[in-house]
Amino acid sequence: MTPESIQTAGWLFFKIMIIVGIGLYSVFAGIIVRQEQLMSRVLEAATEPLLRLFVLLHLFASLGVLLAAIILL
Amino acid sequence: MPTVFEETTPAPRQPPQHSPRHGGFRDRTHGWTSFALHPKDIRFETQEESEEIILFLRQHFITLLPSLLLCGLLLFVPPLLFPMIFRSLSQTIGLPVGYMVIGFSFWYVAAFGILLMNFIHWFFNIFIVTNRRIIDIDFVHLFYKEFSEAKIERIQDISFQTKGMVATMFDFGNVLIQTAGEHPNFIFESVPKPAKVVDVLSDLTRDTGRNPL
Repeated sequence: MTPESIQTAGWLFFKIMIIVGIGLYSVFAGIIVRQEQLMSRVLEAATEPLLRLFVLLHLFASLGVLLAAIILL
Repeated sequence: MPTVFEETTPAPRQPPQHSPRHGGFRDRTHGWTSFALHPKDIRFETQEESEEIILFLRQHFITLLPSLLLCGLLLFVPPLLFPMIFRSLSQTIGLPVGYMVIGFSFWYVAAFGILLMNFIHWFFNIFIVTNRRIIDIDFVHLFYKEFSEAKIERIQDISFQTKGMVATMFDFGNVLIQTAGEHPNFIFESVPKPAKVVDVLSDLTRDTGRNPL
């Protein structure tokens, strides 16, 4: 193996690890959305729409970063 | 013929009415409510039709301050440290710009996620006192929540403790409730106005003693 191919493989591994990491974080963001839905059933308070908005915003932001990572890296 | 034994129908058992001495008004709640007497627009999952929320509690908002400070710190790290880190990495291993963009973006999303998780943890950790029972809903973490309740008439002992300078300044503390139930001890942690909470609970237990369910 040439040094260039080792370097290319290294970068590819690094890129895959980053994308997997951000993907796992997006799953975590999805779990937060689900958990917020479940807890909203336990407590019906007036401010839940705002909290739901923030939770969804977080999920879409993490998916956006995942998409950007796939495109840019 | 004179009526010797007058037939009387027993009065239906009513849940004890909360004493109006605690204000007798209903608190309008908002998102940050951590203490509300007779809240208007809050309901919980297992609430019965005739059950009235007397006291709604969360931890004092000041307990969120460490998380807010941490997030504030996390917001200032990228502009200060990332340029130095990326510059050195670009010189040594030739880090592409795409990695810097993703690094910045992910950092801010994760900081927002930390703040959100702490807020959700605070928001859904609640203590409710109704005219029938006390309820402690603990949202420990994403995959674990706990729901404990005890009837008012099972309350045996109520006390509170305010520890430290911050707790004294902002008037919050722990309310400890001993019950005769399966869940013997309830701790309402870092709730605002603990003396008032004890006062409300004492009145409720006294009213229930006079008028058992």
